[in-house]
Amino acid sequence: MKKKIAQNIYTILVFVFLYMPIAVLILYSFNASNSTSTFDGFSLKWYRELFSDSASLNALKNTLILAILSAVISTIIGTMAAYGINKMQNKYVKSATMSVTKIPMMNPEIVTGISMMLLFVFVGVLIGGKASLGFGTVLIAHITFNLPYVILSVMPKFKQMDKSLPEAALDLGCTPFQSFFKVELPQIMPGIISGLIMAFTLSLDDFVISYFTIGSGFETLPIRIYSMTKKRVTPDMYALSTLIFVSILILLVVSNLISDKNRDKMSKKAKKITKIVVGSVFGAIALITLIVLIASAGTKTVTLNVYNWGEYISDGSEDTYDTNAEFEKYYEEWYYEKYGEHINVQVNYTTFASNEDLYAKLKSGATGYDVIIPSDYMIERLKADGLLQPLNLNNIPNYENISDQFKNPFYDSDPDEKYTVMYTYGIIGIVYNKDKIDPSDLEKIENGEAGWELLWDEKYAGQILQFNNARDAFGTAMYALGIDVNNATPEEWKMAFEKLKAQKPLVQSYVMDEIYNKMESGEATLAAYYAGDCLSMIANNESLGFFYPKNENGEYVTNIFADAMCIPAGASNKELAEAYINFMLDEEHGAARANAEYIYYASPNKTVFEDLEYIDYLGEDYELIYDPDFNEPYGNGEQTYIEYMFATYAYRDMTEENRARLNGLWEELKVDSTSFGSGIYIVCAVIVVLIVAFGVYKYIQKRQRRRLYWNNPAPAKFENTMSIPKVVAPNDNNTPNSTN
Amino acid sequence: MNEKKIIELKGVAKSFDGEIILDNIDLDVHEKEFMTLLGPSGCGKTTTLRIIAGFVTPDSGEVMFDGELINDLPPYKRSVNTVFQKYALFPHLNVYENIAFALRLKKVSEEEIYERVEEMLTMVNLRGFEKRDVNLLSGGQQQRVAIARALINKPRVLLLDEPLGALDLKLRKDMQNELKNIQRKTGITFIYVTHDQEEALSMSDTVVVMANGKIQQIGTPTDIYNEPQNAFVADFIGESNIIDGVMLDDYKVKFSGQEFECLDKGFSKNEPVDVVVRPEDVDVVSPEKGMLCGVVDSVTFKGVHYEIIVTINNFKWMIQSTDYVAPTQSIGLYIEPDAIHIMKKSEYSNMFGDYSSFSDELDRLSDATEEEE
Repeated sequence: MKKKIAQNIYTILVFVFLYMPIAVLILYSFNASNSTSTFDGFSLKWYRELFSDSASLNALKNTLILAILSAVISTIIGTMAAYGINKMQNKYVKSATMSVTKIPMMNPEIVTGISMMLLFVFVGVLIGGKASLGFGTVLIAHITFNLPYVILSVMPKFKQMDKSLPEAALDLGCTPFQSFFKVELPQIMPGIISGLIMAFTLSLDDFVISYFTIGSGFETLPIRIYSMTKKRVTPDMYALSTLIFVSILILLVVSNLISDKNRDKMSKKAKKITKIVVGSVFGAIALITLIVLIASAGTKTVTLNVYNWGEYISDGSEDTYDTNAEFEKYYEEWYYEKYGEHINVQVNYTTFASNEDLYAKLKSGATGYDVIIPSDYMIERLKADGLLQPLNLNNIPNYENISDQFKNPFYDSDPDEKYTVMYTYGIIGIVYNKDKIDPSDLEKIENGEAGWELLWDEKYAGQILQFNNARDAFGTAMYALGIDVNNATPEEWKMAFEKLKAQKPLVQSYVMDEIYNKMESGEATLAAYYAGDCLSMIANNESLGFFYPKNENGEYVTNIFADAMCIPAGASNKELAEAYINFMLDEEHGAARANAEYIYYASPNKTVFEDLEYIDYLGEDYELIYDPDFNEPYGNGEQTYIEYMFATYAYRDMTEENRARLNGLWEELKVDSTSFGSGIYIVCAVIVVLIVAFGVYKYIQKRQRRRLYWNNPAPAKFENTMSIPKVVAPNDNNTPNSTN
Repeated sequence: MNEKKIIELKGVAKSFDGEIILDNIDLDVHEKEFMTLLGPSGCGKTTTLRIIAGFVTPDSGEVMFDGELINDLPPYKRSVNTVFQKYALFPHLNVYENIAFALRLKKVSEEEIYERVEEMLTMVNLRGFEKRDVNLLSGGQQQRVAIARALINKPRVLLLDEPLGALDLKLRKDMQNELKNIQRKTGITFIYVTHDQEEALSMSDTVVVMANGKIQQIGTPTDIYNEPQNAFVADFIGESNIIDGVMLDDYKVKFSGQEFECLDKGFSKNEPVDVVVRPEDVDVVSPEKGMLCGVVDSVTFKGVHYEIIVTINNFKWMIQSTDYVAPTQSIGLYIEPDAIHIMKKSEYSNMFGDYSSFSDELDRLSDATEEEE
């Protein structure tokens, strides 16, 4: 009895571990607020949100199309392959083929992804194609990685099948072709269906391989979710994940129902119901696909490929302004007025997670992008590599809306040849918890005397969060030490490293997105982060505060960064791209303000930051985002303080040497931070030694048992008593022991 | 028997991976004949069948059907059907659909299909089983479905590859009768492959004994049993004592140090020969009256008779007798002239016939593992 209870508890525990995360995900998809730390009541808000989020739905559509196509194609190819492998006469060739088939499954996805990308780019260059990465390449990649799974699930069915079945079919008058479809296919069908389902689900959630092989203008759901990291993953993704989980659950139940084991057990009625359910599920999927395909193929469209950070545009969610849809409408009308012709504009909006991702993408030959929005230092690098083209400002009359102090930033300083139009800028500040911070420190902050040293204060040991991002983390140390972030000497790098190392015992953890939870829930007290995001945190927890750190001279010393719109060198539709940039700056259609309100970063657009309604919308935050001090003249009065900050504190593109140095030091810092102490090594070593010892023991035991009979003629004393049976058929050299 | 040849094999040879499976086979099959290919596993009987069915193409030689060469004709174009060893019923189809399979391929009308399937079901005693799942039938029932499925096409020749191998003894006997009846009723030529000599003798018009890829003897069951051509046939068909002997003269043979009268002639003088004496043809008499004398090694009760092993001149005789004798008892053997069959020496001489081992047990064991081709 006790044993049974223990067994049950164990089983329950296993299930809790397995399903707890999904349960939490489902729970939070029904959360009334977007907080991840507290549950504020039940609501279907995020589901509503999801279905009005056209970009996510588009990504979902893409993912489904990709999954269905790749699953079907790989199932067909895989089944044919399994048929062929099964027919192989030479068993060595056969087993070698099976091993080769299995290797891609063991291969790390990242290797598959990178090699695929290389191949596609290589072939693309070879045949002189322009955009070598696109839907076709992801599809090929997905088919490729699905294949082994299909083969492995179909193969056993061929093996289980009575080998005389196809012969019986031929014997009764089937051609080999008919024999396959009428007799063999029904036998291997369960294998094909489970292969199909496996391929479908694998393709559905693949991120790594898609990421490397995807081209411009096409985004799958996993990639979209991943790229939401600049802001945060929105809760409608919880809703979507819940829906996907439920769909896969249904798919699994269905596939179990139609598996042959269960089919024997089921009553006729149950079989009928299953058939109807399976039929209608597949029918519905097919119908949806068909409708989507027809809908997307029916109209002639001009496409504009926009590549931006995740969650970095007002996209119509939560009843906000849908920038891309508004632009499409605006441009279609404008075009009709100007040329008297109808045109269909389609903004293909895809997202990236980091400047480096964007750079890799452009470098690897994904040329289809028309508008990209990278950050300052990356623009420097893209420009140096010749990946950008100058803008025709005549096509962007709204450029005048940009405040003069943001027109010639360091990465685009030539006033006569503009490559960029600034989209937003942001400043790193320190977010803190008013309730937890020491009153004397609070006073300092309120008097504007606080600096970076707060993050090194031992009072807050275990309550400080640091960037999990090499450049920003070293930035905090360098600003604190008064080192020039762009011209640090090797000694100064070392100093910054030592500074971070000294901070490490005080740091609760190195975070990016997790900062929201940790600050909003009060788990951590102090953290440096981007201003816009800090203000979002404050909106969710009123006891949080925010300030920009100053040095001893009372000057703001912190990082400032800008993201700007540019047109890559290979853009297919430059005029349309310029129209889009112009629209993003527009006052009349409200795009500029809507985006500033949505993103919560500072806008360089006069029509925005001087707009009274906008000022009213931001309320107290306005003073924080647009600190009046920043607009004060600085030095000889030729530049404002913010211009000085851009010139001095913004990160510049690094030399290779410095990048390597930064990465090296960062590794050193982090490796240390994830060290488990020597305990873990000892445990691993003990496990390995035990396994090896067990293997050796088994081997010795086997040898010992063989000792008497292996390769030894029987000793004389046994010889005569043994009757060696006579062999029956002369050709049959088998001794009795081989007959079993 | 009908003398019209339906199938002719001329000099057919086949080897797999360098191993010779069939070595120049010549075989004629006549119409309406029940022919059995008999031999131990690995003798090439199944390969012969598969060559006729079209699953195996011979390396050399000719396969003729109705006087036409069919070496390269695919199986689905031959008017030959097969009953497979493990039945090979289609698991996804029920009894009716399995039997109707061949007709559906020919696009026969549903009414005709119904009629012919019912006719077949009646013939194999399976009416009322139409809707059954073939996977849930017993072995005997599956066998009948397989036969019905193969016969519905009205083939000229039906090939049966050890069709009763998986059935138990009682059922096997019933099915043997049934198969024989079906063959008589339909008048279709049957080519039947088996390793069970009793089955071969009781069912066939013609028995073809095969070993080592060669045909050892072709003949009626009685010919094969009574007049085996060599030691292999003698040993394989029934039980035999095969003793080295010398033909002294016509009708006179010497073995075990004694001279015997026999019915055979035509050998040269003093030619060494193999002498076959069937165990049931030896009479046990008292030592004084016996032509040969020996001591009983062992006695085994077999139901109908006792199996007695006697050692005479270092040769172990097997005798089947309804009378009990005790082990270690001295007995005499009496052999009638017509119980002695003389064979020329062959490559199989001295390989069989001595009962000092359990060769027949081994025989059954090795037959249990079927050749994989």
